[in-house]
Amino acid sequence: MIGIIAALTLRQLLGRGRTILLGLVALLPILLALVYRIGGEDTDQSEWVAQVLFDGLVVTILLPLLAVVYGTAALGAEIEDGTAVYLLAKPVSRAKIIFGKLLAAWALTSVTVLVSALVAGAIGLQGVPGHGLLVGFAIALVAGSLVYSALFLMLSVFTSRALIAGLVYVFIWEGLINGLFAGTRLLSVRHYTLAVADIFVDLPRGVFDAKLGSVPAVGLMIAVAGGSVWYGIRRLQRFEIGEST
Amino acid sequence: MLRDVSRWYGNVVAVNGMSFTASPGITGLLGPNGAGKSTVLHMLSGFLKPSAGEVTVLGEPAWGNPELYRRLGLVPERESVYAALSGYEFVRLNARLQGLPDADRAAREAIRLVDLGDAADRSTDGYSKGMRQRIKVAAALVHDPAVLLLDEPFNGADPRQRLHMIELFRRLAAGGRTIIFSSHILEEVERLAERVLVVVGGRLAASGDFREIRRLMTDRPHTFTLRTSDNRRLAAALVAHGSVVGVEVGDGRLTVRTSQLGAFARAIPTIARSCDVTLRELRPTDESLEDVFAYLVNR
Repeated sequence: MIGIIAALTLRQLLGRGRTILLGLVALLPILLALVYRIGGEDTDQSEWVAQVLFDGLVVTILLPLLAVVYGTAALGAEIEDGTAVYLLAKPVSRAKIIFGKLLAAWALTSVTVLVSALVAGAIGLQGVPGHGLLVGFAIALVAGSLVYSALFLMLSVFTSRALIAGLVYVFIWEGLINGLFAGTRLLSVRHYTLAVADIFVDLPRGVFDAKLGSVPAVGLMIAVAGGSVWYGIRRLQRFEIGEST
Repeated sequence: MLRDVSRWYGNVVAVNGMSFTASPGITGLLGPNGAGKSTVLHMLSGFLKPSAGEVTVLGEPAWGNPELYRRLGLVPERESVYAALSGYEFVRLNARLQGLPDADRAAREAIRLVDLGDAADRSTDGYSKGMRQRIKVAAALVHDPAVLLLDEPFNGADPRQRLHMIELFRRLAAGGRTIIFSSHILEEVERLAERVLVVVGGRLAASGDFREIRRLMTDRPHTFTLRTSDNRRLAAALVAHGSVVGVEVGDGRLTVRTSQLGAFARAIPTIARSCDVTLRELRPTDESLEDVFAYLVNR
């Protein structure tokens, strides 16, 4: 049943104009890497890929942007246009619905960001040692996609303004507040993702170092993803349709 | 079944102390927009939790009980269906979500029931409003539910489609299913429903056969049109009777208004006989649901 729901959700998400737009956004890291390589910048390639390409662009902008759009649309779009009723009026546990939606959002987010990051990373690192950057960030992006998707999916069951709330989280909380107050990084999926990547990357400190320890980051990832899924199921079990009609 | 059910949103009471039991057959929920019909249907379909009271379907609580959907079909009012799917894919998806062993066969059968076979492989994006209504009905019927809830099911349907759906619902009801539908179109309810629940301002204003509802309104004048052998002579005799509040002669017929339906019905043969007038036709002129409904809303 989870597979049926995930397949339906993938078809709905892929069938819309947003996919083309997000596909174009996902091309940006690749274009940037090409420009960097063609331009013959004399900065260290590994350093540029770690700091500018992966941390600055892929983890900070591309990953959360894809996740917030797909995560909030996976169920939120159906709630908004009224088609969720066909899913909810079935003898299907709300947990399976959430897992099916999460699977679709996670798959779409992680595949898109992985293709973009790996191609861009390979271009950026051409001819130099990789220092575990591609493997490390690939694993981290898959893990980060899961946590973001779970968080934004939960938001879509919680509020009809999930997309706005998600964008505020990404760009105000993670983009601004985390930079001002170090303690708030404990509640930042971006920093969890960087910490996971740091487990595999063997670049010297100062070139690439995550601000969170890997053990607490992994623990917090599990807690946030698990808590989001649990709360999303709980909200969906109590979800009401009909207030506006 | 609703027992003392209320539902409110903040300070707004949508449904107030409503109770009714629907048995197999067709029950129509009639009322103006905003009367609470959709709220009642949403509570019956388990999508709204009653603020007070108890809502059960087939003996089970409707709220928080997804297993109930194995025996419950729902046609929502909103037009939207999954845009990327064909009609057939949409109905088959509903069959698969119901866990039916042969979803393909069930989908084809449901589509045949709503007479949409020719358009089944087209994308629902290109469907007319009436076609969308029918594909939604097919999706709701795909698992052959014992209870079918329909929110404004005839929206957008043309007269032929409407007639076809009315026949379909009658056949389903004759097979022992319980069908509850909402409508603000009086003619639809009159033609389809065996039992009518009139909802006004969140309350059950009346229930029963629409003629029974009519009889509840003893304080409202009823109007009859008569064709007789001598309209003027009968009119003169009728004005003297206490149950008659007005008569009008013209166009070859006699129109009589009465404030006491029972007394008038008993007296008319005697009065006609006493003045040697032959009654050729006597029929109520205000038996449409529109009149009944207008009265209930305004009383």
